[in-house]
Amino acid sequence: MTAHITGNTTSNAAADGTRQVTGSRGTSVVLQNLSRAFGATKALDGLSIEMAPGELVALLGPSGCGKTTALRIVAGFEIADSGSVLVDGKDISTIPAAKRDMGMVFQSYSLFPNMSALDNVAFGLRMRKVGTVNRRKQAGELLDMVGLADQARQYPHQLSGGQQQRVALARALAIEPRVLLLDEPLSALDAKVRLQLREQIRTLQQRLGTTTLFVTHDQEEALSMADRVGVMSQGKLEQIAAPDELYDHPATAFVAEFVGVMNRLPGELQSGGMVTALSSTVPVMNPDADVSPGPVDVLVRPEGLAMQVIENGNGIVTTRTFLGSVTRVGVLLSGDVTVQIDKPSSEAAALAPGTSVSVSLPPEPVLVTHRR
Amino acid sequence: MAAVAGRGGLGEKVSPQARGGFGRGRPLRANTAERPAIWRWVVLLLAGVFFLLPLIVAFRFAGIKSFGSVISQSGFTSSLGLSVRLAVVTTVITIVLILPTTVYVHLRLPGIRRLMEGITILPIVIPPVVLIVGVLQIAPGSLKGTPYLLSLEYVILAMPFAYRAIDAGLRSLDLKTIVEASNSLGAGWLNTLLRVVLPNLTTALLSAVVLTVALVLGEYTMASLALFQTFPVWIYVNSQTSGQISVAASLLSLFVTWLFLMAITVAGTRRSRSKGGGSVTLFTVARQETRGN
Repeated sequence: MTAHITGNTTSNAAADGTRQVTGSRGTSVVLQNLSRAFGATKALDGLSIEMAPGELVALLGPSGCGKTTALRIVAGFEIADSGSVLVDGKDISTIPAAKRDMGMVFQSYSLFPNMSALDNVAFGLRMRKVGTVNRRKQAGELLDMVGLADQARQYPHQLSGGQQQRVALARALAIEPRVLLLDEPLSALDAKVRLQLREQIRTLQQRLGTTTLFVTHDQEEALSMADRVGVMSQGKLEQIAAPDELYDHPATAFVAEFVGVMNRLPGELQSGGMVTALSSTVPVMNPDADVSPGPVDVLVRPEGLAMQVIENGNGIVTTRTFLGSVTRVGVLLSGDVTVQIDKPSSEAAALAPGTSVSVSLPPEPVLVTHRR
Repeated sequence: MAAVAGRGGLGEKVSPQARGGFGRGRPLRANTAERPAIWRWVVLLLAGVFFLLPLIVAFRFAGIKSFGSVISQSGFTSSLGLSVRLAVVTTVITIVLILPTTVYVHLRLPGIRRLMEGITILPIVIPPVVLIVGVLQIAPGSLKGTPYLLSLEYVILAMPFAYRAIDAGLRSLDLKTIVEASNSLGAGWLNTLLRVVLPNLTTALLSAVVLTVALVLGEYTMASLALFQTFPVWIYVNSQTSGQISVAASLLSLFVTWLFLMAITVAGTRRSRSKGGGSVTLFTVARQETRGN
């Protein structure tokens, strides 16, 4: 059985002998009601996600929220107690990891230490019985694609962490996987390399159109790379939405506070979907939240609060953090509440610590949650 | 995750950061340079005298001539041949038994690793006579009366060393991750074991082989109790008739064993260096090092 390359698609003999065509485009993935318990701990509790072909979905959440378990179930390294994973509409639950055609990049360095970068990338092709000449050529092209053509003969220990992860990415892509699985691939790298690789992964993923599931605890990573971000907590999906939607319209207080910076202000929930805080009454963004009228907490972004320098205002500036074009100002309000407010850096010059200010709530809808 | 360099008493753990970032450092040895050099020479000299003096004396006692006549002595070839055959058989059985077991324990039953360490140390604690009786009880009848019964006993004796060498090798790998990486790339278990796990364990396996071979070539008690004339037994028996030739044979066997171990060590180190591993020594196992980001 020979393998040949035609355009973007490799036809090759699958390990089980059947001839199948694996295109890198157009694979849909559905996670259906996945549950998995480790002892008494529910790592996954009815997780459902539908991924469109070519989409990059990031699973974001604190450690232990079940995101890695979900990824490992898709990869075939864990078995769900209940629920199923559908790839292009077919349930793959019974297919072993080796036959799932999924490229995976791991958090820890996972290159085979005994093989050169080129042999690492060619390994998957070798397992697919691609001939030596072809697989070396393809592996070379992939190394070129991640910008490591010159390092082909290097062994993993001769490569930096960032280079190793790029080789790992090339290795995962070499098999033209139906789905690309990224398990916190950047978390072992330093900030600068992380940023470069983040962009490289996203560019490649979009170019190849490979459906990708990306697990991370870094919200910046998730928001900057993903088409949609699924925020998880305690084995459940809190919300899955496009990054801007997630930031501007968080569905739950957990999402609101996990994604981005969020201020908590004491407020009074009125009947009729209104809430009073900082002496203004504004509409509630999440009227269907399970909160009854009375004392609540109001959640507002640092850019969602208005502030004016005024004598005897309701707050005093305590800190000032320069973040580039904006400056984040910490203000102590009466009642021992501290809030963060973002101001254009040009305006923040007047806001030295100790300045008396007036902080108010613009008439925009806000999120409410239980008083902490 | 943590790599372990130098089992056999050292058990030096290196954090993942250390592996990635400043893995070149060897924490335990870092301060050697600060000690006065003279003490190192004193220790080296004392050890040298302790180990070499008996050899020199033995060499003078035997005389050059006896070395030539060792080979022509009756029983020399057959006993040496038997010892080498036993070494080969023992090594093969040991590796075939211990390697998959240790890999399996690392991957699937990491919780029983401590128990395994306890079990594998038993052959050192239990007197050889007891082990012989035990092996005799369970050995297949066809083996009884053949020298290969000794191999079964040697497998047990070699177990503590072989297990530790391979265990240390596996600890220095991120076994779970590379096995999963291999699986996800389409390799089944056999391919993963042969192409990914084994090649990264060459150093550890060599250590196991070296230790097993050295043990078999030098073992006297069991062989003599079982009435087989292995090389060490032959040397002892021969010493009754000709002291000089027996001492010459001992020296020769020491030298040959040493040469053999050196050959394995040098070959293994060269091979492992080319692939980025460390040097092969009896208990130290290669540690994969990275240059950080």
